[in-house]
Amino acid sequence: MAPSEHSGDAVPPEPPSGPGADLFAADAAVGADLAAVDWGTTPLGSPGSWPQSLRTAVSILLSSRFSMWMAWGPQLTFFCNAAYRRDTLGRKYPWALGRPASEVWAEIWDDIGPRIDTVMTTGEATWDEALLLFLERSGYPEETYHTFSYSPLRDDAGAVVGMLCVVSEDTDRVIGERRMATLRDLGSDPSAARSEEEVLAFTARQLGRNTADLPFTLTYLFQADGSAWLAGATGLPAGHPAAPASLAAGGTGGVWPVETAARGGTTTVELDGTPFTGLPPGPWPQPPVQALVVPLLQQEAPYGFLVAALNRYRPLSESYRGFVELVAGHVAAGIAGARSYQAQQRRAEELAELDRAKTMFFSNISHEFRTPLTLIMGPLEELRIRLEGADPRVREEIDVVRRNALRLGKLVNALLDFSRIEAGRMQARYEPVDLAAVTAELASVFRSAFDKAGLAFEVDCPPLPEPVHIDRDMWEKVLFNLLSNALKFTLDGSVRVALRAEGDQAVVTVRDTGVGVPAAEMPRLFERFHRIENARSRSNEGSGIGLALVKELIGLHGGTISVESTEGRGTCFTVRLPFGVAHLPAGAVAPTAGSRTGPVLADPYVQEALRWLPEDTADVPEPATVEEPVPGAPGAAPRYAPGPAAPARVLVADDNTDMREYLARILGTTGYRVDAVSDGEAALSAIRKNPPDLVVSDVMMPRLDGLALVGALRADPRTAAVPVLLLSARAGQEASIEGLQAGADDYLVKPFAAAELLARVRASIELARLRGHHARWRAALVDSLHEGFFVCDEDGAVVEINSAFTEILGFGPEDLPYRAAHPWWPDAAKDPEAHQQVAEAFSQLLDRRQGSCTVPVAHRDGHRLWINATFNEARDPDSGRRVIVGTFRDVTAEHYAIQRESALASLSTRLSRATSLSDALWGALSVLQELWRARRVLAAVFGDQPVLAGTGAPQAWQDLSAERRRALSELRGRPLLAPVTDSVGAGILLEHPEGPLALWMDLGGKRPFSAEDQLLLSLLAGHLAQGLARAHQIDQQRETAIALQRAILGPARLPAGFAVRYEPATPPLEVGGDWYDTVTLPDGRIGIVVGDCVGRGLTAATVMGQLRSACRALLLQDASPARTLMALDRFAAGVPGAVCTTVFCGVLDPDSGRLTYSSAGHPPGIVAEPSGISRLLEEGRSLPLGVRPDRKRPEAASTVPARATLLLYTDGLVERRRRPLSAGIREAGAAVQRGRDVAVDELATQVMSRLAPQGGYEDDVALLLYRHPAPFDLSFPAESSQLALVRGALRSWLDQCRLPRRTMQDVLVAVGEACANAIEHGHRHAPGDMVRVRAEAFVDAVHLVVADTGDWKAPQPGGPPLRGRGIALMQAMMQQVTITPGPSGTTVEMHTRIAR
Amino acid sequence: MTTPLTLTPGRRPDGTALLTVSGEIDMSNSDAFAEALAKALDATAEPLVLDLSAVEYLDSAGLTVLFNHADRIELIAAPLLIPVLTVSGLSEITRVQGTDGPAAG
Repeated sequence: MAPSEHSGDAVPPEPPSGPGADLFAADAAVGADLAAVDWGTTPLGSPGSWPQSLRTAVSILLSSRFSMWMAWGPQLTFFCNAAYRRDTLGRKYPWALGRPASEVWAEIWDDIGPRIDTVMTTGEATWDEALLLFLERSGYPEETYHTFSYSPLRDDAGAVVGMLCVVSEDTDRVIGERRMATLRDLGSDPSAARSEEEVLAFTARQLGRNTADLPFTLTYLFQADGSAWLAGATGLPAGHPAAPASLAAGGTGGVWPVETAARGGTTTVELDGTPFTGLPPGPWPQPPVQALVVPLLQQEAPYGFLVAALNRYRPLSESYRGFVELVAGHVAAGIAGARSYQAQQRRAEELAELDRAKTMFFSNISHEFRTPLTLIMGPLEELRIRLEGADPRVREEIDVVRRNALRLGKLVNALLDFSRIEAGRMQARYEPVDLAAVTAELASVFRSAFDKAGLAFEVDCPPLPEPVHIDRDMWEKVLFNLLSNALKFTLDGSVRVALRAEGDQAVVTVRDTGVGVPAAEMPRLFERFHRIENARSRSNEGSGIGLALVKELIGLHGGTISVESTEGRGTCFTVRLPFGVAHLPAGAVAPTAGSRTGPVLADPYVQEALRWLPEDTADVPEPATVEEPVPGAPGAAPRYAPGPAAPARVLVADDNTDMREYLARILGTTGYRVDAVSDGEAALSAIRKNPPDLVVSDVMMPRLDGLALVGALRADPRTAAVPVLLLSARAGQEASIEGLQAGADDYLVKPFAAAELLARVRASIELARLRGHHARWRAALVDSLHEGFFVCDEDGAVVEINSAFTEILGFGPEDLPYRAAHPWWPDAAKDPEAHQQVAEAFSQLLDRRQGSCTVPVAHRDGHRLWINATFNEARDPDSGRRVIVGTFRDVTAEHYAIQRESALASLSTRLSRATSLSDALWGALSVLQELWRARRVLAAVFGDQPVLAGTGAPQAWQDLSAERRRALSELRGRPLLAPVTDSVGAGILLEHPEGPLALWMDLGGKRPFSAEDQLLLSLLAGHLAQGLARAHQIDQQRETAIALQRAILGPARLPAGFAVRYEPATPPLEVGGDWYDTVTLPDGRIGIVVGDCVGRGLTAATVMGQLRSACRALLLQDASPARTLMALDRFAAGVPGAVCTTVFCGVLDPDSGRLTYSSAGHPPGIVAEPSGISRLLEEGRSLPLGVRPDRKRPEAASTVPARATLLLYTDGLVERRRRPLSAGIREAGAAVQRGRDVAVDELATQVMSRLAPQGGYEDDVALLLYRHPAPFDLSFPAESSQLALVRGALRSWLDQCRLPRRTMQDVLVAVGEACANAIEHGHRHAPGDMVRVRAEAFVDAVHLVVADTGDWKAPQPGGPPLRGRGIALMQAMMQQVTITPGPSGTTVEMHTRIAR
Repeated sequence: MTTPLTLTPGRRPDGTALLTVSGEIDMSNSDAFAEALAKALDATAEPLVLDLSAVEYLDSAGLTVLFNHADRIELIAAPLLIPVLTVSGLSEITRVQGTDGPAAG
């Protein structure tokens, strides 16, 4: 495009020239003020006398929209333009005009004077970037940054007589970046979890780096009593009176307003008066005069407050205040994190302490056992020696005692070993030994046991090349444990011990052909107290610590143990010990082997092992019997039949005193202990108090006779087994039958011989003892247990219980037996899940030999209990039938405590891992779902309208059933954190930062929601509310930053025909004040806005976001650009920083291309016409926004012709240093013209890159392109009946494109043929599929695309020339035709040039 | 819906059979067009004049109908249709008489 092609208004108007006032006409406002200066009093004289060079300089100055000032003449008389006045001069206008520059800028003359001198003397220009200058333009010295260049101005003769300053102010950018850096650094704490002190120290380091914005800061934290202590300070020396170490609660007279901060209020404090004298100035010349006191906010009362001294050289604007508040927010978040971390830490330490206490307890208790054990073993050994020749039965019993004492000692020692190993106090002495000899010797100790068990025992230990360092005691334990293990689990076959050297290790293997270890048990084999249940073995005894100890001991030797096993085939343990001593602690290595004779620890192991093996009956004495003669009083009484071995207790009940005494005497002299009562009543109460071995009762007695006594005894389970011998004067068979029927054990008719009585008594007692000895013993034992005890028969019916059972569950012995399902099972209908749990545990109890479980059960009164039960299989000695014996404890309290703790812990973990508010909520919901095994958990947040979150598939509020919606809504009426239950679930209301949150869990009605559950839910909900608030706080800080950045992006969807670009000035700072926007208006027209806010950084972005939204809303309301801008004027007046924004606002009719527009001081739009001419849209111009809010704005109209392109932009696209704006605008027009043959989006890319200066754009750039008309895009069903419609639509689009008639017909025919092909061939088998026709007009060409989903036939040579003719037509009509068949359809692309 | 097409049989002043067509001819109505043309041809042993001057659009389906009777018809066509008739080669085997309508292009 040549400049000559411009229409009349194509270039900006020349500044008027001529003498006098015309000189200043280029700018009405500043010009008028310049004209008003009394120039005669200045060295320059009246304007009429000014040289041409000065006139030119002044008019360039005034016509530039770039901020400039100049100085001319001997006193460097001051001139400036409107932009400079607006951006920099402030209150000094118009006073400054015509004054010496040194007077105008007296306060910075020291900075700029030398630079001006340089220009004046050398004629060379200066350049300063972001120079700090303290301007007094607003009534106080202000921290400002300017980038400026001074260049010389020459007079007509070429001498330097003045200077021109082109300046742009960077204050907002520099300060914005500085504050952003501080906020970024505060947020960059690399470690997530730290102590409060570390957090405060980190914060102080960061704050101390920005003394420009925060000359000093003080962080005070509140204590419980409301007072505050100084937790951190920056910029103030310690002990300064302005930073007292503590501040009293609620004080108003103190240094800082504690009371206001405690209430969450922010205060500005004037720093004058005593405590504030001598404040350090930081990087500034003068100390600060104001401080902002901001609370450190949290959920409830603030943690404390931050005192931030303010930079006296900057106003306390919204952004400054916002910065300080964000800093305080960071500090508060840091403290919140530290405190919650600290709480977690405390919990962990408490747990560790508990663990230490447990180990200590084990260690102590083991010691306590050892002392009495020693005192048992010592005398026992002596006793054994002394009773060498004694009765074999005595010896036998001593052996039993000894064996069991040894076994107990072995167990206690193992426990002690563990506690020593855990405490690192295991005393070891590693001495070099011939491992082959030692191992063989130890193994030989077990030989007799293996022989006795009928197992082959092979020891294969050839000498090793070098000694192995071992602790002898430990090695004995290792080997004995492995050997006794092998013996225990090998029922037939062999056990083999072998030793080999492999590399630098000695390898010992113990291989058996035993029962083997199930694969599932292998991983836990070496776990302490782990026992393999149901394994076939020689003994069911064992504590489960042998292998665990072996592993620990080998570990101490620097060795390893591994195991291989096949169930039913055998097991092989492999121990590997390194040669040498490098792996052993130096202090524990002995140079040579100590003298030692044989194994010292073998006895307990061997003795225990031997007990597993069947007794050789020949060696064992007869079982002890009660066949003992009882020594009566020698000679005092006739020797009747002997009495019982142990003195039996006999209760005599007879109303006849003589008889009573006689009975007592003959029984007493025979060795019985006799109690006597005089009637049945007394007998019953005595028996109940203390059941005797036998009751001898008369039948005939007052109050309660003998038969009734028997009946009462038999009716009471506690006394049912007490044998009764009835005495009666009534002879005869009926009488005796009556007595026996009543339940008496025997019946004796008076008179009777003493010998007969004694024989009967003895027989009864013996019989009863045989019957009830064990039972009574057991009953006494069992009743003394604190644990609940029960016996089940093989069907699972509970046939016996103890008193603890009744105490815990409320079910007494009176209702025995309790058949399954037992009455304490949870109700299958109300709580199927718990019922199921118990049913499973019960079936385990029936199927397995032993086990344990923790299950929920119901007390007789209905309340829920958790019990931990352990059970074992046993044989009923009488019947030989299988019974199950078990005990249980009430673990309800523990159960709920653990449940609460773990639920809280898992909720805390989820909340701490959450990355956002919604993530936190979602995570918490899953925790609840898992905890209660809920079908789903829903959470409705009642903000402006209910928003739903939930586990499972996403669902919207509207999708919920009306009933559920109502239930959730009703929760809102409930008090906070008070659980509510209904037929299927439970709900609760809690606080969510965006409104009340109603939470509801669908438990499917499977289980009742108990009081414990409610407590837990309320606890978790409270915890969750706190967690959500914390997540919200973090979210908000992030959103502030992101929202500002997002605001710069334009509309998500552009109308057709448009292309837009935004390019930030400097890549890292993607926040600027430029924007573009399009908005489709209700009448189908399109509102177009391009604007540019003053400044950069967060502030500008905020302003821009507000203006953009406002402008959109206004356009939608009233589609007049002028009225929209006028309304925006008023809006801008109320938004700080919005004044002086430039905006181009237009409304485009996409059908006709007609554009109405109005410009608020914005660079003109460009219309690049197909003819090659570019037009400027520079009518309808007025001032930038908010400068004269009440002035009427003009509106202009123009038409974007067919195939012309409209370009709107911000000044960053065209404005360059040292180049007139008009040149940039011309260049932009040319760049658009060069893209005549590309699509509009591609054109946007080309324009941006063609105009980019070297090194990128210095200012941000927004660009908007529209080519008229917008591309044609139509999809229609592949049916021939659609063809006429498609042609009609395409025809009217082609009309809009203003194509020549011939071209139009060509396009219609070509597209018609392509569509016909698509219908005919592509869709013969699938009618109704869609065909898409797209067309885009470029300046000189039309591009067409017809796409379908079928495949075409190539034209058949010689066949019927049906569609072949169609393709020929297309090719003839178009310049270019490309048919691309593809798997998903055929695409025809066509291109034709437009004839001029 | 098929593309609107009007077919009016008649006779020219010289007595020649005439079929006047107006509208657009495409694959949706080419069968109807073919039928009408065949009928008109059946009614006469002489060549038939087909007046297409009011036809605004003719695609290859319509051309095929014309090719089938190329030796028995004479065409009158507006300039807008001439390129299609030329490009397809029909004008080489059938007499085409242009109208005074505006020149194409």
